[in-house]
Order: sequence, then C-alpha cells, then structure tokens
Amino acid sequence: MTTTEPLLSVENFSLGFGSKIDLIDGISFSVEPGKTLCLVGESGCGKSVTSLALMGLLATTPARITGGKARFDGKDLFTLSERARADLRGNDIAMIFQEPMTSLNPSMTIGQQIVEGILRHKPVSRDAAQARALEMLGLVRMPAPEKRFHAYPHQLSGGMRQRAMIAMALANAPKLLIADEPTTALDVTIQAQILALVSRLQAETGTAMILITHDLSVVAEVADHVAVMYAGRIVEVGSVDDIFSDPQHPYTLGLFGSVPSIGRRSSTLATIEGSVPPLEHMPRGCRFATRCPFADQRCMDEVPPDYEPKAGHRVACWYAPLEAHVRAA
Amino acid sequence: MTGGGFRCRPSLSKKGPDAVLKLIVRRILLALPTLIILSMIIFGLQRLLPGDPIQTMMAEESDPQVVEFLREKYRLNDPIPLQYLAWVGNVLQGDFGSSLRTGLPVTQMILQKLPITVQLASMAMIMALLIGIPAGVIAAVRKNTMVDYAANAVALSGMSVPNFWLGIILIMVFAVSWKILPASGYVPITLDFWLSIKSMLMPGFVLSTAVAAYLMRHTRSAMLSVLSSDYIRTARAKGLLSNAVIIRHALRNALMPIVTLSTLLFGDLLAGAVLTEQIFVIPGFGKLIVDAVFTRDYAVVQGVVLFTAIGFIAMNILADVLYIVINPRLRHPQ
Repeated sequence: MTTTEPLLSVENFSLGFGSKIDLIDGISFSVEPGKTLCLVGESGCGKSVTSLALMGLLATTPARITGGKARFDGKDLFTLSERARADLRGNDIAMIFQEPMTSLNPSMTIGQQIVEGILRHKPVSRDAAQARALEMLGLVRMPAPEKRFHAYPHQLSGGMRQRAMIAMALANAPKLLIADEPTTALDVTIQAQILALVSRLQAETGTAMILITHDLSVVAEVADHVAVMYAGRIVEVGSVDDIFSDPQHPYTLGLFGSVPSIGRRSSTLATIEGSVPPLEHMPRGCRFATRCPFADQRCMDEVPPDYEPKAGHRVACWYAPLEAHVRAA
Repeated sequence: MTGGGFRCRPSLSKKGPDAVLKLIVRRILLALPTLIILSMIIFGLQRLLPGDPIQTMMAEESDPQVVEFLREKYRLNDPIPLQYLAWVGNVLQGDFGSSLRTGLPVTQMILQKLPITVQLASMAMIMALLIGIPAGVIAAVRKNTMVDYAANAVALSGMSVPNFWLGIILIMVFAVSWKILPASGYVPITLDFWLSIKSMLMPGFVLSTAVAAYLMRHTRSAMLSVLSSDYIRTARAKGLLSNAVIIRHALRNALMPIVTLSTLLFGDLLAGAVLTEQIFVIPGFGKLIVDAVFTRDYAVVQGVVLFTAIGFIAMNILADVLYIVINPRLRHPQ
C-alpha cells in the first residue's frame, strides 16, 4: 500500500468463542482515509463479527477478542473504556447493517432516530439536529424527505429504510463507515442504487469505508483495496487491481471461478469443492487446505508464511507465486 | 413491502380516530352475545344452588301465607325462563331489581360499593406496575445473574403465596406489632385522603402480588426478546449509552404488550378483590357479593356479577384500543 498513514490498522486480531481454536485467527489489514476496503469471503468466515468487534458491539454476541490490536485515528480501540468506545460509535465510526427491515426501531419515526444520533454526539440544538437530519434524508435521495422524516419504519420500503440507515450512519460525518452487506436484503435494482449512493456520499464526504460483501462485481465497482477472508483468516490482501489481475491464493481464484458471467456458457458453474470444516476440525496449517486442489501435507500442518508479489499485495500460501509452483508441479 | 410512498399517512388526524371508533363499535357488538349468554348462566346457575331466599329471609318463624305472598311478590313461582325474561327486561331499563334482604335497589348498592373496589384495584394495579415493570427490566438486563434469579424467585413466591396468609402476616407485622398501619377497615378518600391511602396500602399490596409477579415475568421476556433485536444493535451503533438504549429503545417497544396485559389484569383485579376485601374487612364489591350469595339474595348476585362482567368486557375493549393507540404500526397503516 501507499505511504499514507492508515486511518484504521488492525494487527493480528483474533477472536473466539472460548474454545481452543479461534474463529478469527490473527488477521491484519488497514484502511486509508477516504479509501474503501472490501472484505470478501463466504458466509460464516468472520466478516460480520470482525466489523462488530471494530464497532465495539461484541457484547451482544458470545464472541470475545483473544488477541491483537486495532489502531483507529491514533487510538487503540480494544483498550478504550466502554464509555470512550460509545463516544466513537456513531460519531467517528458508523455502521450500516445488513437487514434494513429490522434494523430501525418500529416505534420511533425516522426523523427521531436520526436526530437522536446527532444529539448524542454533537453539541447542537434540537432544531439544528432536525435540520441536519432533513438534510441527510435529502442527501440519501429519500423521496419526499419532509414527509419521511415523520414516517415510521413500517411505512417505508426496504430501499427507503436502507437510505434512512445510511442517513443515520453518515449524519455525524464519520471518519470510517462499516457497511455490512448493505444491499443483500434488497431487490437487485435497488442494490445498484444504494451502492452508487454509498460510494457517491463516501467520495463527497471523504469517509473511509469497510465494505463487507461476497459479491465480486460490487468489489470491482467500489473497492480500492480488497481483503479476501477464508475461515477466519485473511488469505490474500491487495489493491483491487492486484486482486483482480493477479490473484494468487487458490481460494481467491476459486471465488472468481464461482462468479457467473454473461456470455460464457459453461455447462456447470465452477465451485470450490467441499465446505468449510467445523472449527474443531480445522487443519493446523492453512485453513483452506482441506478444499485446496494444490494442498499437500505441509499445507495441512504448517501455517503458510506471507508472500508479497509486490508492495501491498500479500498472500498466505505455500505455493505462491502460484504460476511458478503450479507450472513446476 | 410496497414502495408506494404516496400512500403513507404520517399523521393520526385522518385515519386514526375513525379506525379506533370503528373498532370500539365492532367490539361492543361482538360483546353482546357474550353478555346474553353470560346473563343466562348467571341467572341459571344461581337457581341451581340449593337453598331458598325466602327461607333465608324468614329464618325460623315462617308463616306459610307470608312465604307465599313474598314468593309471588318476587315472582319466584314463575317458570325460570319467564323470571329470566322479566329480569332482563328490567335490566335493559336500568333496573337491576332490589335486594331481597335489605329492600334497597341493587343499582344503588352497586354504585355505593363500586368506588371502594375500584380504589382498591387501582391501588393494587399501581403497586403491581411499580414493582413488576422495573423488576422485569432489571431481570432482563441482568439476565442469568443473581439479580435475575432473585427476581424470579420473588415472582414465583408472589404468585404462589396465598393472599389470606400474606394478609394476616402483614396485619400482624404492620398493624399489631409496629402499629404503623390500620389493621382493617375502609376510609372514604373524600373523608381523609391520607388515611384512606394508608388503610389501602396493605390490602393493595396483598392484591397486587400475583399481578406484580405476572407483570415482572412478562416484562422480562418482552425485554429479552426486544434486547436481542436488530434495532437495539442499531441504537448501540449510534453510540447511545446503555440507559438510553434500555429505556428509550427497548422498554418502549417491550411495553406495548405490557400495556394491553395490564388493562386485562386490571379487570382481573376488580373481579378478584373478593378475598382481599374479606381479609381486610373492606366493604367493597367482593363483600357485597359474598354476603348476597350466602343469603341467596338473587337480585344482588345477578346485578354484581353482570356489572363485573360488563366491566371486564370494557377492559378488554380498552386493551384493544390502547394497543392501536400506542402501536404506530397499527395506528398508521401502510
């Protein structure tokens, strides 16, 4: 990556449910100011729980942080007091969730819910907060914002609710926005609109973003950097160009193979064989070894070292660079 | 979910009261058959009871002629269906008949006793809400801690301890030993406000225990389900502090079913004050009906039970209306 001081840098972060093996096993990544990092991986690989840990919202889950550091804007997130974290939440770090249908309080109006977040963090009058909330509803292109301000969530469609969530998250101009699959619950046509909206607002406000997704077309569209996660480890990280033009990890390659594309009609969709093993049966070495077509005994037993094909592009595979080894094999 | 935003109605002004009024009318119409069947049961069951009101009235020295005269006067010789129709006819004109024992009109007796029972039930309800809801919230927030277990244990005893036992223990402690509360009796609230409240403290508490326990359990489970919902996570993600999340976001939603439940429970309290009134010698509805049953005072029993039933049905309708009024999803249709 470039030499800019990262806004968020996560080092060796691990998280578990109290068993011997950690669900998230020593992941590291960083986000630069104003840039977008896409966290990619299949369901259950630990993307969402990582974002909750960064938000400081793990208390609602059985997961606990077991190691590592997360430096955000000069602060060590995991050592801050609960109060200090609450002061950051919704102010410097904001989050958009996956489920717009259930993520808004059904007994409060949209306006109240946005205003509340502003008043919590900014020393402004209620009138000013309301004006700001209305402005945000306009910015997220909410149709008839004055009317929606007084509407309850059940009166809005899924897309409008997600717009309201985005307005809420961006109302305090956070430095970092974490968007956890913000479009998966929406209609395909709405998905594109919401994504375009998020990236436009991000560009306008200079907010950095961690976008969690398993949709590679989304990644190609909005990412500056990509981190590919598999079973609680980051197997490959790099700029969007590195990942798309020169994918190194067999899992990353597998992901590309799983993307259906228009035009090329092969009889079956390429898939990655098998499924993620349960945590207690996870190989000691590379976690992808049980499904990797290139894996051998060393992959099963020893954790692969990071290989850097070029600055900022890291891959955790014994066989990287893949071309050289596979040809040799 | 429809995207048709123009159909949204952000204000109560147009649709709300209309819908509520419609609901009330519909519920009253639905309640009519219930009331008719109920009145038949009230009337019939009593006639099945052994014992004769005139005999009870006359005691030992019964002159057959007087007995016969009274039987005719109170139409006790008519077939039961005819007696029923005559009673219903009078009730519809607002005449509940008069007591066989005292000769007083039943309506007057009821109106005299009603405020006493309403005061007792209200006292109990307020206490139950003040105990049950905070206890439920705390138990939910401190789930699976000693606090939670203790609250559950207290709630269980609240439901299982018999009222008469608790009443007597309280009288022994507060009235006999410490002499800080009157042991029994009733003081009208218009006569001496504070003494009236003071004399209602123990009976109110005794009556409230079961309802408080019930409310605590329901509040706890409603809070638990709300606290694990996505919008609570959103509220925390805004950086709101714990108390704001619990009270403004969680409790507000958890209370919706509790409000409805409380209304229904208030109906229970009105109808269920009998035993408590007996223990604390409060001359309310309960005492009226117990005395009337013992003396086979048909008109009074019928009047009181019918009144209670109407009150209970009214509480049910109120519960439905409240549910709409406090729930924005029902108040503002999509």
